[in-house]
Amino acid sequence: MDNEVYTFALKNTLDEIQKICPDIKNAFVLTKNRELIARDEDTPEEAITRAVSAFEEMLEKAQAIGGVEDVMIEGNNGRLNVSQLGEIYLVTVTSKQADLDYVNTVTHVVVPTVLRLLEKFSPSPLSKNPPTPDVEPEEPSVQRVEEPVTEKHEEQLEPKEKSDTVLPKSEMILPETPVNQLIVEDLKGLLAPSDTIRIDSSIIQEWNDLYEDRTIEEADVETFGGKSTRCKIKPIKESKLDGQGKIQIPNKVQLTLDVKKGELVRVKPVVE
Amino acid sequence: MVKKKKDELEITTVSGPTLIEATDYESDLRANLEEIKKYDGVVGYILRNTTSASIDLKEPAKIIDYAMLSSTAFDATEEVSDVFELGDIKSIIVNGKNVKMLSLTVEQNKISIFMQDNADTEKILQKLNGS
Repeated sequence: MDNEVYTFALKNTLDEIQKICPDIKNAFVLTKNRELIARDEDTPEEAITRAVSAFEEMLEKAQAIGGVEDVMIEGNNGRLNVSQLGEIYLVTVTSKQADLDYVNTVTHVVVPTVLRLLEKFSPSPLSKNPPTPDVEPEEPSVQRVEEPVTEKHEEQLEPKEKSDTVLPKSEMILPETPVNQLIVEDLKGLLAPSDTIRIDSSIIQEWNDLYEDRTIEEADVETFGGKSTRCKIKPIKESKLDGQGKIQIPNKVQLTLDVKKGELVRVKPVVE
Repeated sequence: MVKKKKDELEITTVSGPTLIEATDYESDLRANLEEIKKYDGVVGYILRNTTSASIDLKEPAKIIDYAMLSSTAFDATEEVSDVFELGDIKSIIVNGKNVKMLSLTVEQNKISIFMQDNADTEKILQKLNGS
């Protein structure tokens, strides 16, 4: 089971919850790294990006009170709730008239139950690389292996390349390319190269661990509008940004991609 | 006592000078905050308006951290309210693992109360909304 299944299951769960509780106007699920896993049909991704970006700093500052468990914002027209349910944040927006006890009972029972079920089927849920519902799933390669294969294995696979359903050798032996969703930050400075982006050191480390016999030096950055570019990668220098699911992009690349600070982009390593 | 003050406020809104209104109102609010500070589980408060700020926390070492959290919570909420059309914000509650923060805007005053889990949020809200 992969993250697409999680996304699919949680999206359906959110849609069903909304049918039971029509007072829920918007609902979406984020990882603790504020990566979007699933959203209901009525909530545009742009709205989620803005909300996540707005909450980002507050969640950081909330370390002063031990980190956030729940947030409730009550307005004249409705309420927004952020609830931590295990490894995820469930965000719901309800109308003014909503019966909060009922809404909380439904969401706090159904979502954890679905998550538990999913976890039962898959021991490694909710990795840092969840695909979004809008994203076309990558074409599955014919053969995938769990770990990078040693030279010995490569030799064993060679004869298969000569068969009818052949894929290039590299595609056959490499793990699926991970895709990370990251929030754009500005990368400024006179000495900052215009063709280099900076991302979490932990992500670079993960990529290097995944493709242990290769060094990942470049990554493809894609926007949800369909634009993409290839850049060199380096780890984020500023400690306050590292580990926050951020990507620092030089202004020139931002212009190329037509993105700006606070927006989400997808990043995947270039494995050659 | 509080009700009486409120009545006075309403009268001065019509005829009295604005400065006096604000002073009366703020002193009333500060008195309420002082009272709230004595409630079970309350660890302090931050009161900010356009001209001044006062912070009263039992743990002075946390003053800057709490002030930053309070400020970012108001900013974030403004944006989120705009995105999801929540309207004017009545209250913000941030439940942390160690401390809970209740924030609200009363007139021009931005108030954040910091408390333990056992504190009665509803009682505090009523007290502040009655200011």
